[in-house]
Amino acid sequence: MSTKKLSRRDFLKLTAATSTGAALAGLGPLSSIAAAQDQVELTFGRHWEAAFRPRQAEYDEGFMERHPDIKVSITYNTWADHNNVVPAWAAAGTLPDVIYVHGSRATPWAHEGIIIDIHDIVTSDEEFNVDGMWEESVRLYRVDGRIHALPYDHGPIILGYNKDMFDAAGMDYPSEDWTMEDMAAAAIELTDLDAGVWGWDGGLDLGNGGGGFFTGAWGGVHMNEDETAMTMDTPEVRAALNHWYKLIHEDGAGASGTEREAFPNSQPFRAGVAAMGHIATWSTPSMRALANFEWDVAPTPMGADGSRYTGAFGSGYGITPTSDKPDVAWRYLREYLSLEGMIFMWSLSGRGSPARPEGLEAWLNSDPAPPSGRYFLEAMFDYAVTGPPFQSLAAAQVSTILSREADLLRLGETSVDEAIATITEEGNAALDEVADM
Amino acid sequence: MIRRFSKPISPSAKREERIFYLFILPWLIGLVVFSVGPVFGMLGLSFTDWRISLDDLQFIGLDNYSKLFADPIFWTSVGNTLYIVVGRVVFGVSFALLLAVLLNQRVPGIAFFRAVYYLPTVTAGVAVALVWIWIFNPRLGILNYTLKQIGIQGPDWIFSKTWVKPSLIIMSMFSVGPIMIILLAGLQGVPKELYESAEIDGAGRWAKFRNVTLPMLSPVLFFVIIISVVSSFQNFTEIRVMTEGGPGESSNVLIWYLWENAFIFLQLGIAAAVAWIMFVILMVLTGIQFRVGRRWVYYEVDS
Repeated sequence: MSTKKLSRRDFLKLTAATSTGAALAGLGPLSSIAAAQDQVELTFGRHWEAAFRPRQAEYDEGFMERHPDIKVSITYNTWADHNNVVPAWAAAGTLPDVIYVHGSRATPWAHEGIIIDIHDIVTSDEEFNVDGMWEESVRLYRVDGRIHALPYDHGPIILGYNKDMFDAAGMDYPSEDWTMEDMAAAAIELTDLDAGVWGWDGGLDLGNGGGGFFTGAWGGVHMNEDETAMTMDTPEVRAALNHWYKLIHEDGAGASGTEREAFPNSQPFRAGVAAMGHIATWSTPSMRALANFEWDVAPTPMGADGSRYTGAFGSGYGITPTSDKPDVAWRYLREYLSLEGMIFMWSLSGRGSPARPEGLEAWLNSDPAPPSGRYFLEAMFDYAVTGPPFQSLAAAQVSTILSREADLLRLGETSVDEAIATITEEGNAALDEVADM
Repeated sequence: MIRRFSKPISPSAKREERIFYLFILPWLIGLVVFSVGPVFGMLGLSFTDWRISLDDLQFIGLDNYSKLFADPIFWTSVGNTLYIVVGRVVFGVSFALLLAVLLNQRVPGIAFFRAVYYLPTVTAGVAVALVWIWIFNPRLGILNYTLKQIGIQGPDWIFSKTWVKPSLIIMSMFSVGPIMIILLAGLQGVPKELYESAEIDGAGRWAKFRNVTLPMLSPVLFFVIIISVVSSFQNFTEIRVMTEGGPGESSNVLIWYLWENAFIFLQLGIAAAVAWIMFVILMVLTGIQFRVGRRWVYYEVDS
């Protein structure tokens, strides 16, 4: 990661190098930096792991140099706590001006008045190119058709593999024409329990991004289009979950839930003891930092009918109703989420695939991006779909139910039929509860 | 009270009374503003559709309570809470009493052992919970490693629906420092002449413990049981750090259920109702303990 500060000159250079005339026009305010006035403090509540905080500080220093009338103050929450801290801030009336908004929280937070409707601000700002954002990523923040926050990243889930383990076994790397059955067969072959290695890392995720990866190849869909009912009680989802359950608990080719607990962050793949695992763009920095082996990515394996499908998800930022300076908040966000801002913050640092397709090439060249990182891009453009739930007010409840049942499946503490029945019953009850809200 | 007013109060006594109230005023204000006030505030909010904002609250009567009583997960959390409370109190207090008796012996190095057993209490709860995650790790944990050395295949502990609650109870037994200290103080307050009299009557160790120690310690035990019940209802840190209510709902206790409703589902009205239900359960349990306590708690002043 670059440690050089992003000065005004650098920022403009980056702009010139990467943006179109329209995007350049989006930085209009840069060319007319106001004389230093009384500073206003812009407060920003977010999560951001320690490794990337210097990057944020660097960006903010540059921003404050360009806008001497604004002082940016950040409060960092942990990833685990942010979604719980924000409602507490809201209830206490102490929300910062700008907050991090996970895609699954936009609808409930918009409904509860934690983030404001910024549709008119965004669309009336002719210099801000919202159309240059990947529509799948903006979709997360449209509530009743109106934009309530803006994305910074959006990434698909594809297949990651340990090249060293494939080489040691004398096997070919996962190929573009792999099906899920091919993947399972390879996982079984690569498993050597005496040596403490598995072919599959035991991942089984039913949440926003992962859900599509684990059931989509069989044609399984978790919820209906408008997220008013669960649609998991189908032969497709049953076949998908049976595939993973069998791989983990019957074939023994995937680490079970308890076995995964023996590894940091419950990730045997990253620990180098599983040949394959599912991986998102936002996980590549930790892989690059912690994986002590050669690794790469491959397309999500296809279903038996040759179709390919996976989930994608992302995060963004919103402005809060307690902010007494939404105009200042927007001045910050319009630069932060411009093409140039995204390239500096996410692409060049490799922190995640930016929500603007134009910034993806720069991400591919970043250090954390894997050699075949282009497969992430292919997934985003060709077959990844933003995974539910994110449009329902009961998104948090449904996510909790999905996560709990996936956990039980990994542990072998429930059966596929039981999990599907529970998800359907409890999920529909939660969705019915908010139907009239 | 009647007798008090029937006697004239001297000016100095009145002044002393005023000073007394003046001194306790800061505490009294704190109690009303930060404890009693919010408790009754919660009661009011539990009858509303409170989600985040306090503006436009709608009075919905007993709807939140009806929803709770119709939610099977609520009843699961009640059952889990009672299971863990009973386990923590029975095993925790017994273990603390055993430790207190052992640490009441006059043997070399006793101060060291007292410090060791008190150590988990002065360690941050999150740190203790993280250590226990590793102790309970089925593959790498020291617990299963030790069991394996004696030919026992250990369970999956906190990763098993069956074992998660016993695991939390076992863990709690190593944080009994405060009640162990209270019991130790109680033991040291038992008059030696009672043991001497019992010995003269031919009492053995068990008879002395049963007929002298336990009755003399009963007021302390009563207090310890009450605070253990209350604290067992509040065991949030372990659940948050170690299990998040799982696997499934097998360690979903009332305090977790409350937190989940408040800060994940944004149903603060329902969370307020859960808080009041917990409050009522605790009041009832404490009332029962006071009633039952009359039969077994011995106060020296009574005689």
